Amino acid sequence: GGYVQSPGGFGSPAGGQAEKKQRSRSQNIVPCTVSQLLAAEQVDETFRICDVEISQVTVVGIIRHAEKAPTNILYKVDDMTAAPMDVRQWVDTDEAGGENVVVPPGTYVKVAGHLRSFQNKKSLVAFKIMPLENMNEFTTHILEIVNAHMMLRKNLMSVSRAPPSLSTGLSDMGGYGAGGSLTMVNGLTAHQSQVLNLIKSCLLPEGMSLQELKLQLHSMSASTIKQAVEFLSSEGHIYSTVDDDHYKSTDAE
Amino acid sequence: MGDIHEVPRPRIATGHLAQHIGQPVCFVGRVEKIHPTGKFFVLSDGLGKHTTVELSEPLDEEISGIIEVVGRVTNQATIMCVSYVQFREDKSPFDLELYNEALKIIHEFPEYFQCG
Repeated sequence: GGYVQSPGGFGSPAGGQAEKKQRSRSQNIVPCTVSQLLAAEQVDETFRICDVEISQVTVVGIIRHAEKAPTNILYKVDDMTAAPMDVRQWVDTDEAGGENVVVPPGTYVKVAGHLRSFQNKKSLVAFKIMPLENMNEFTTHILEIVNAHMMLRKNLMSVSRAPPSLSTGLSDMGGYGAGGSLTMVNGLTAHQSQVLNLIKSCLLPEGMSLQELKLQLHSMSASTIKQAVEFLSSEGHIYSTVDDDHYKSTDAE
Repeated sequence: MGDIHEVPRPRIATGHLAQHIGQPVCFVGRVEKIHPTGKFFVLSDGLGKHTTVELSEPLDEEISGIIEVVGRVTNQATIMCVSYVQFREDKSPFDLELYNEALKIIHEFPEYFQCG
Protein backbone atom coordinates (compact mmCIF):
# COMPACT_ATOMS: atom_id res chain seq x y z
CA GLY A 1 0.00 0.00 0.00
CA GLY A 2 0.92 3.63 0.07
CA TYR A 3 -0.27 4.50 -3.40
CA VAL A 4 -3.67 5.98 -4.07
CA GLN A 5 -5.24 4.58 -7.16
CA SER A 6 -7.59 6.93 -9.01
CA PRO A 7 -11.01 5.47 -9.74
CA GLY A 8 -9.68 4.05 -12.99
CA GLY A 9 -11.23 6.57 -15.32
CA PHE A 10 -8.01 7.16 -17.15
CA GLY A 11 -6.94 3.60 -17.15
CA SER A 12 -8.79 2.67 -20.31
CA PRO A 13 -6.62 0.97 -22.92
CA ALA A 14 -7.54 3.38 -25.71
CA GLY A 15 -6.41 6.38 -23.75
CA GLY A 16 -3.19 4.73 -22.67
CA GLN A 17 -2.17 3.60 -26.11
CA ALA A 18 -2.93 6.86 -27.85
CA GLU A 19 -0.80 8.60 -25.26
CA LYS A 20 2.03 6.14 -25.85
CA LYS A 21 1.86 6.58 -29.60
CA GLN A 22 2.15 10.31 -29.12
CA ARG A 23 5.27 9.89 -27.05
CA SER A 24 6.79 7.17 -29.22
CA ARG A 25 6.54 9.29 -32.33
CA SER A 26 8.50 12.16 -30.92
CA GLN A 27 11.15 10.18 -29.09
CA ASN A 28 12.19 7.32 -31.31
CA ILE A 29 15.21 7.42 -33.52
CA VAL A 30 14.93 4.45 -35.80
CA PRO A 31 17.85 2.97 -37.73
CA CYS A 32 16.79 2.45 -41.36
CA THR A 33 17.99 1.60 -44.80
CA VAL A 34 17.54 4.14 -47.58
CA SER A 35 15.27 1.64 -49.30
CA GLN A 36 12.99 1.58 -46.25
CA LEU A 37 12.86 5.36 -46.17
CA LEU A 38 11.95 5.50 -49.85
CA ALA A 39 9.21 2.93 -49.27
CA ALA A 40 7.78 4.80 -46.27
CA GLU A 41 4.22 5.96 -46.81
CA GLN A 42 3.20 9.44 -45.83
CA VAL A 43 -0.13 10.13 -44.19
CA ASP A 44 -0.56 13.81 -43.29
CA GLU A 45 2.43 14.70 -41.19
CA THR A 46 3.63 11.20 -40.43
CA PHE A 47 5.63 8.55 -42.22
CA ARG A 48 5.13 4.83 -41.76
CA ILE A 49 7.27 1.88 -42.71
CA CYS A 50 5.01 -1.18 -42.63
CA ASP A 51 2.80 0.57 -40.06
CA VAL A 52 5.65 1.65 -37.84
CA GLU A 53 5.76 5.41 -37.44
CA ILE A 54 9.09 7.00 -38.14
CA SER A 55 10.32 10.54 -37.95
CA GLN A 56 13.89 10.72 -36.69
CA VAL A 57 16.09 8.10 -38.31
CA THR A 58 19.70 7.04 -38.59
CA VAL A 59 21.28 5.88 -41.81
CA VAL A 60 24.81 4.61 -42.42
CA GLY A 61 26.24 4.96 -45.89
CA ILE A 62 29.02 6.31 -48.02
CA ILE A 63 29.08 9.87 -49.29
CA ARG A 64 28.92 9.84 -53.06
CA HIS A 65 28.56 13.55 -53.58
CA ALA A 66 28.87 16.73 -51.53
CA GLU A 67 27.80 20.20 -52.57
CA LYS A 68 28.28 23.25 -50.41
CA ALA A 69 25.83 26.16 -50.67
CA PRO A 70 25.76 29.32 -48.54
CA THR A 71 23.15 28.00 -46.12
CA ASN A 72 23.46 24.25 -46.40
CA ILE A 73 25.52 21.29 -47.51
CA LEU A 74 23.78 18.74 -49.72
CA TYR A 75 25.16 15.23 -49.59
CA LYS A 76 24.19 12.10 -51.46
CA VAL A 77 24.50 9.15 -49.09
CA ASP A 78 24.58 5.61 -50.48
CA ASP A 79 23.93 2.52 -48.36
CA MET A 80 23.65 0.11 -51.33
CA THR A 81 19.96 -0.64 -50.70
CA ALA A 82 18.74 1.93 -53.26
CA ALA A 83 19.95 5.01 -55.09
CA PRO A 84 21.85 7.49 -52.88
CA MET A 85 19.60 9.65 -50.73
CA ASP A 86 19.73 13.44 -50.51
CA VAL A 87 20.85 14.53 -47.07
CA ARG A 88 20.77 18.21 -46.30
CA GLN A 89 22.67 19.75 -43.43
CA TRP A 90 21.86 23.35 -42.57
CA VAL A 91 24.86 25.51 -41.92
CA ASP A 92 24.95 28.07 -39.16
CA THR A 93 25.79 31.18 -41.18
CA ASP A 94 26.71 33.15 -38.05
CA GLU A 95 29.41 30.71 -37.17
CA ALA A 96 32.81 31.84 -38.31
CA GLY A 97 35.15 29.24 -39.67
CA GLY A 98 32.60 26.51 -40.01
CA GLU A 99 31.62 23.98 -37.48
CA ASN A 100 30.24 22.51 -40.66
CA VAL A 101 33.16 21.16 -42.60
CA VAL A 102 32.19 19.33 -45.75
CA VAL A 103 32.71 15.57 -45.39
CA PRO A 104 34.53 14.35 -48.51
CA PRO A 105 32.97 11.83 -50.92
CA GLY A 106 34.18 8.29 -50.28
CA THR A 107 33.72 8.64 -46.51
CA TYR A 108 31.44 6.29 -44.60
CA VAL A 109 29.16 8.27 -42.31
CA LYS A 110 26.35 7.83 -39.86
CA VAL A 111 23.57 10.33 -40.43
CA ALA A 112 20.90 11.21 -37.89
CA GLY A 113 18.06 13.31 -39.14
CA HIS A 114 14.41 13.80 -39.97
CA LEU A 115 12.72 12.20 -42.93
CA ARG A 116 11.14 14.70 -45.27
CA SER A 117 9.18 14.46 -48.49
CA PHE A 118 8.84 17.27 -50.98
CA GLN A 119 7.09 16.88 -54.31
CA ASN A 120 7.16 13.15 -53.79
CA LYS A 121 10.88 13.05 -53.32
CA LYS A 122 12.24 11.83 -50.03
CA SER A 123 15.23 13.35 -48.32
CA LEU A 124 16.77 13.70 -44.91
CA VAL A 125 17.45 16.84 -42.96
CA ALA A 126 20.44 15.89 -40.86
CA PHE A 127 21.10 17.14 -37.36
CA LYS A 128 24.25 15.09 -37.13
CA ILE A 129 26.64 13.66 -39.69
CA MET A 130 29.50 11.66 -38.26
CA PRO A 131 32.29 10.01 -40.23
CA LEU A 132 32.70 6.45 -38.98
CA GLU A 133 36.02 5.91 -37.28
CA ASN A 134 35.33 2.28 -36.53
CA MET A 135 33.81 0.40 -39.46
CA ASN A 136 32.33 -2.17 -37.10
CA GLU A 137 29.68 0.50 -36.39
CA PHE A 138 28.54 -0.05 -39.94
CA THR A 139 28.00 -3.75 -39.18
CA THR A 140 26.26 -2.88 -35.92
CA HIS A 141 23.93 -0.53 -37.77
CA ILE A 142 22.83 -3.37 -40.05
CA LEU A 143 22.00 -5.49 -37.01
CA GLU A 144 20.25 -2.60 -35.29
CA ILE A 145 18.04 -2.04 -38.33
CA VAL A 146 16.77 -5.61 -38.30
CA ASN A 147 16.32 -5.57 -34.53
CA ALA A 148 14.54 -2.22 -34.46
CA HIS A 149 12.09 -2.95 -37.25
CA MET A 150 11.36 -6.42 -35.97
CA MET A 151 10.66 -5.13 -32.47
CA LEU A 152 8.71 -2.08 -33.58
CA ARG A 153 6.45 -4.07 -35.86
CA LYS A 154 5.79 -6.67 -33.20
CA ASN A 155 5.02 -4.03 -30.63
CA LEU A 156 2.80 -1.50 -32.32
CA MET A 157 0.80 -1.27 -29.12
CA SER A 158 3.55 -0.51 -26.70
CA VAL A 159 6.86 1.25 -26.60
CA SER A 160 9.88 -0.78 -25.62
CA ARG A 161 13.65 -0.86 -25.56
CA ALA A 162 15.93 -3.47 -27.12
CA PRO A 163 17.62 -5.76 -24.59
CA PRO A 164 20.94 -4.26 -23.46
CA SER A 165 23.06 -6.62 -25.54
CA LEU A 166 21.44 -5.41 -28.74
CA SER A 167 21.15 -1.72 -27.93
CA THR A 168 23.56 0.92 -29.06
CA GLY A 169 26.40 -0.19 -26.85
CA LEU A 170 28.92 0.01 -29.69
CA SER A 171 27.56 3.21 -31.13
CA ASP A 172 29.07 6.60 -30.46
CA MET A 173 25.83 8.23 -31.38
CA GLY A 174 24.02 7.30 -28.20
CA GLY A 175 24.13 10.84 -26.89
CA TYR A 176 21.45 12.58 -28.88
CA GLY A 177 17.84 11.73 -29.37
CA ALA A 178 17.26 10.75 -25.77
CA GLY A 179 19.47 7.75 -25.60
CA GLY A 180 20.24 5.98 -28.83
CA SER A 181 18.86 4.48 -31.95
CA LEU A 182 15.87 2.79 -30.33
CA THR A 183 14.77 5.23 -27.71
CA MET A 184 11.85 4.32 -25.55
CA VAL A 185 9.75 6.12 -23.04
CA ASN A 186 9.69 3.85 -20.06
CA GLY A 187 12.79 1.66 -20.46
CA LEU A 188 11.01 -1.68 -20.54
CA THR A 189 11.35 -4.65 -22.83
CA ALA A 190 8.53 -5.59 -25.17
CA HIS A 191 7.19 -8.26 -22.78
CA GLN A 192 7.39 -6.03 -19.74
CA SER A 193 5.56 -3.25 -21.53
CA GLN A 194 2.77 -5.50 -22.68
CA VAL A 195 2.28 -6.90 -19.18
CA LEU A 196 2.33 -3.43 -17.66
CA ASN A 197 -0.16 -2.06 -20.16
CA LEU A 198 -2.58 -4.87 -19.43
CA ILE A 199 -2.28 -4.37 -15.68
CA LYS A 200 -2.80 -0.62 -16.14
CA SER A 201 -5.93 -1.25 -18.14
CA CYS A 202 -7.54 -3.35 -15.41
CA LEU A 203 -10.29 -1.52 -13.58
CA LEU A 204 -10.95 -4.11 -10.89
CA PRO A 205 -10.17 -3.03 -7.30
CA GLU A 206 -8.04 -6.13 -6.74
CA GLY A 207 -6.17 -5.57 -9.96
CA MET A 208 -5.27 -8.13 -12.61
CA SER A 209 -4.50 -11.71 -11.78
CA LEU A 210 -1.68 -13.78 -13.24
CA GLN A 211 -4.35 -16.11 -14.66
CA GLU A 212 -5.95 -13.25 -16.53
CA LEU A 213 -2.54 -12.15 -17.83
CA LYS A 214 -1.84 -15.66 -19.10
CA LEU A 215 -5.24 -15.76 -20.81
CA GLN A 216 -4.75 -12.45 -22.56
CA LEU A 217 -1.09 -12.89 -23.45
CA HIS A 218 -1.32 -16.29 -25.01
CA SER A 219 1.89 -15.80 -26.97
CA MET A 220 3.85 -15.38 -23.75
CA SER A 221 4.85 -18.31 -21.56
CA ALA A 222 3.83 -18.38 -17.90
CA SER A 223 7.44 -17.98 -16.81
CA THR A 224 7.96 -14.97 -19.09
CA ILE A 225 4.89 -13.32 -17.61
CA LYS A 226 6.02 -14.10 -14.08
CA GLN A 227 9.49 -12.67 -14.78
CA ALA A 228 7.94 -9.53 -16.21
CA VAL A 229 5.66 -9.16 -13.20
CA GLU A 230 8.59 -9.60 -10.81
CA PHE A 231 10.65 -7.01 -12.64
CA LEU A 232 7.80 -4.50 -12.83
CA SER A 233 7.08 -5.01 -9.16
CA SER A 234 10.69 -4.53 -8.12
CA GLU A 235 10.88 -1.38 -10.23
CA GLY A 236 7.77 0.00 -8.62
CA HIS A 237 5.53 -0.01 -11.68
CA ILE A 238 3.05 -2.41 -10.05
CA TYR A 239 2.16 -3.64 -6.59
CA SER A 240 0.46 -6.76 -5.31
CA THR A 241 -2.99 -6.42 -3.80
CA VAL A 242 -5.01 -9.24 -2.22
CA ASP A 243 -2.24 -11.78 -2.83
CA ASP A 244 0.89 -12.41 -4.90
CA ASP A 245 -1.23 -13.29 -7.88
CA HIS A 246 -2.99 -9.94 -8.20
CA TYR A 247 -1.38 -6.70 -9.29
CA LYS A 248 -2.31 -3.10 -9.88
CA SER A 249 -0.35 -0.34 -11.55
CA THR A 250 1.22 2.38 -9.42
CA ASP A 251 0.79 4.85 -12.25
CA ALA A 252 -2.03 7.22 -11.34
CA GLU A 253 -3.29 7.67 -14.87
CA MET B 1 30.18 6.43 -61.50
CA GLY B 2 27.50 4.85 -63.66
CA ASP B 3 24.03 3.43 -63.33
CA ILE B 4 24.88 0.64 -60.94
CA HIS B 5 24.96 3.02 -57.98
CA GLU B 6 21.37 4.05 -58.61
CA VAL B 7 19.94 0.59 -58.03
CA PRO B 8 19.80 -1.74 -55.04
CA ARG B 9 22.97 -3.79 -54.63
CA PRO B 10 22.34 -6.67 -52.23
CA ARG B 11 25.16 -7.42 -49.85
CA ILE B 12 26.43 -10.92 -50.48
CA ALA B 13 29.12 -13.40 -49.49
CA THR B 14 30.91 -15.85 -51.78
CA GLY B 15 28.25 -18.49 -51.22
CA HIS B 16 25.57 -16.21 -52.73
CA LEU B 17 27.33 -15.50 -56.02
CA ALA B 18 25.56 -18.29 -57.91
CA GLN B 19 22.13 -16.86 -57.01
CA HIS B 20 23.04 -13.40 -58.30
CA ILE B 21 24.51 -14.08 -61.74
CA GLY B 22 24.07 -11.00 -63.92
CA GLN B 23 22.95 -8.84 -60.99
CA PRO B 24 24.44 -5.84 -59.23
CA VAL B 25 25.84 -6.71 -55.82
CA CYS B 26 27.95 -5.34 -53.02
CA PHE B 27 30.74 -7.55 -51.70
CA VAL B 28 32.95 -6.90 -48.69
CA GLY B 29 36.09 -9.00 -48.23
CA ARG B 30 39.75 -9.12 -47.33
CA VAL B 31 42.40 -8.82 -50.04
CA GLU B 32 44.11 -12.17 -50.47
CA LYS B 33 46.02 -11.63 -53.66
CA ILE B 34 46.35 -9.25 -56.56
CA HIS B 35 47.19 -10.44 -60.04
CA PRO B 36 50.48 -9.00 -61.38
CA THR B 37 48.57 -7.31 -64.23
CA GLY B 38 46.41 -5.53 -61.68
CA LYS B 39 43.32 -6.58 -63.65
CA PHE B 40 41.93 -8.83 -61.02
CA PHE B 41 42.23 -9.57 -57.35
CA VAL B 42 40.93 -12.12 -54.90
CA LEU B 43 38.92 -11.31 -51.78
CA SER B 44 37.99 -13.66 -48.96
CA ASP B 45 34.66 -13.32 -47.17
CA GLY B 46 33.87 -13.81 -43.48
CA LEU B 47 33.93 -17.57 -43.93
CA GLY B 48 37.27 -17.48 -45.69
CA LYS B 49 35.77 -18.32 -49.08
CA HIS B 50 37.35 -16.63 -52.06
CA THR B 51 35.78 -14.43 -54.72
CA THR B 52 37.56 -13.13 -57.79
CA VAL B 53 37.02 -9.49 -58.65
CA GLU B 54 37.76 -8.33 -62.19
CA LEU B 55 38.46 -4.79 -63.26
CA SER B 56 37.98 -3.12 -66.64
CA GLU B 57 41.09 -1.02 -66.04
CA PRO B 58 44.08 -2.28 -64.06
CA LEU B 59 44.44 -1.07 -60.49
CA ASP B 60 46.33 2.19 -60.23
CA GLU B 61 47.04 1.84 -56.52
CA GLU B 62 48.00 -0.75 -53.94
CA ILE B 63 45.03 -2.19 -52.15
CA SER B 64 45.03 -4.18 -48.95
CA GLY B 65 42.90 -5.02 -45.97
CA ILE B 66 39.12 -4.83 -46.27
CA ILE B 67 37.61 -3.79 -49.59
CA GLU B 68 33.96 -3.14 -50.43
CA VAL B 69 33.25 -3.81 -54.08
CA VAL B 70 30.22 -2.72 -56.09
CA GLY B 71 29.82 -4.62 -59.32
CA ARG B 72 27.92 -7.17 -61.35
CA VAL B 73 28.21 -10.94 -61.02
CA THR B 74 29.52 -12.56 -64.19
CA ASN B 75 28.48 -15.93 -65.65
CA GLN B 76 31.66 -17.36 -64.16
CA ALA B 77 30.53 -16.21 -60.69
CA THR B 78 33.23 -13.60 -60.46
CA ILE B 79 32.44 -9.94 -59.85
CA MET B 80 33.01 -7.34 -62.53
CA CYS B 81 33.95 -4.37 -60.39
CA VAL B 82 32.50 -0.93 -61.10
CA SER B 83 33.79 0.78 -57.96
CA TYR B 84 35.50 -0.12 -54.73
CA VAL B 85 36.27 1.45 -51.40
CA GLN B 86 38.78 0.49 -48.74
CA PHE B 87 37.41 0.30 -45.18
CA ARG B 88 39.42 2.32 -42.75
CA GLU B 89 41.12 0.22 -40.09
CA ASP B 90 43.45 2.88 -38.69
CA LYS B 91 41.61 2.99 -35.36
CA SER B 92 40.08 -0.52 -35.14
CA PRO B 93 40.29 -3.69 -37.21
CA PHE B 94 37.14 -4.61 -39.09
CA ASP B 95 35.46 -7.80 -37.88
CA LEU B 96 34.73 -9.59 -41.14
CA GLU B 97 33.28 -12.63 -39.38
CA LEU B 98 30.74 -10.42 -37.58
CA TYR B 99 29.86 -8.84 -40.91
CA ASN B 100 29.20 -12.32 -42.27
CA GLU B 101 26.85 -12.98 -39.37
CA ALA B 102 25.04 -9.74 -40.18
CA LEU B 103 24.72 -10.89 -43.80
CA LYS B 104 23.12 -14.13 -42.64
CA ILE B 105 20.61 -12.11 -40.65
CA ILE B 106 19.66 -9.74 -43.43
CA HIS B 107 19.27 -12.65 -45.82
CA GLU B 108 17.10 -14.44 -43.29
CA PHE B 109 14.99 -11.34 -42.50
CA PRO B 110 14.82 -9.34 -45.73
CA GLU B 111 11.49 -7.88 -44.64
CA TYR B 112 13.19 -5.97 -41.83
CA PHE B 113 16.07 -4.76 -43.92
CA GLN B 114 14.42 -3.80 -47.17
CA CYS B 115 10.72 -3.17 -47.03
CA GLY B 116 8.71 -3.39 -50.21
